[in-house]
Amino acid sequence: MCVTRAGKVVSASQGRARVEFFDGRALDDVDVSVVNAKKGAFVEVFGNLALGVLSPAEAKRRKQAWTEVARVVGEARG
Amino acid sequence: MKADGVLFHAKHAFMPNSLGYCGPDERGQIQSDLEGNRSDEELIQTLQKFEAAYPFLKLIAKSSGREIFDYLVPEAYWIGNRLLDLVPVSDFYSFSHHEIRGRDPEKVREVFRKLDGVAPPHHTFYVMSTYATAAVPDGPNVTNEAKRKIAEVVDNCRISWGRVSKVGKDELKVVARRVNVNDGGLGLTRPAVRRVRYNPEVRPFGTVRAGDVVSIHWNYACDVLTPRQAQNIAKYTDRDISLVNRLMNSKASRR
Repeated sequence: MCVTRAGKVVSASQGRARVEFFDGRALDDVDVSVVNAKKGAFVEVFGNLALGVLSPAEAKRRKQAWTEVARVVGEARG
Repeated sequence: MKADGVLFHAKHAFMPNSLGYCGPDERGQIQSDLEGNRSDEELIQTLQKFEAAYPFLKLIAKSSGREIFDYLVPEAYWIGNRLLDLVPVSDFYSFSHHEIRGRDPEKVREVFRKLDGVAPPHHTFYVMSTYATAAVPDGPNVTNEAKRKIAEVVDNCRISWGRVSKVGKDELKVVARRVNVNDGGLGLTRPAVRRVRYNPEVRPFGTVRAGDVVSIHWNYACDVLTPRQAQNIAKYTDRDISLVNRLMNSKASRR
């Protein structure tokens, strides 16, 4: 299934972008045209489509949440 | 039964995984196991790494007292069956906060509050409610082109179904309904012919024929459905759409 992921637009051109997600992954061909996101924006991506733009404060909160999840998962895996 | 459940689940998880949208980078292994009809421990371990799908299976399994890969469990999640109704709302609410990574807690609360706790742990509902609570700029004034793109991604992400009208080498023509976005929310188009990919090496696609109903995920035919499953996916999809439209309309009326 597709999960909603938040990340940062690291490059954008003609409505397509490379997004680096807070979970450490990246996608090269995200459609950011619906939210008109530019380089540096934080976006919420579903599948390959950005459906929302996050404020820097919200992005920071999401990134912290991911970091916490990664820490907990790491501890659980030993 | 368990082996069937593992393969059924893998068939439906395969395409979004291969596109890089979820799960570990194990595309080759999943495909190889599906082509070999193998539901071994390695495949199970891979499926356990899916960050959303696997927790959903655990939730449904726990509520119904079944094993996680009991066939009815992934069937409930991807297609829909009576096991969905056995999941207590309080469990699903708690699960949505703690088990689904990356989901905004406020949006989760919004879904449950506006739907009075009626929210099924069904894949299609998850997909559609994600769109319904996303902060799409301009809300109801979103452009027709944006509506088309949103409808396309929701349609690709959900599990859809279609009746096969022609079998090609690696492509099927199916008669299916797509998701559309209209002023009242989400809906389904009238049935129309579309093309979907399939893998004839994956059982039972070697013998697929016109008249069969197939499940579809990201433009890929996942499995051939039984008549009961074909009825269920239509029934649960209708229910999901109506719930999501309630959610969206309450959002719009608040503006």
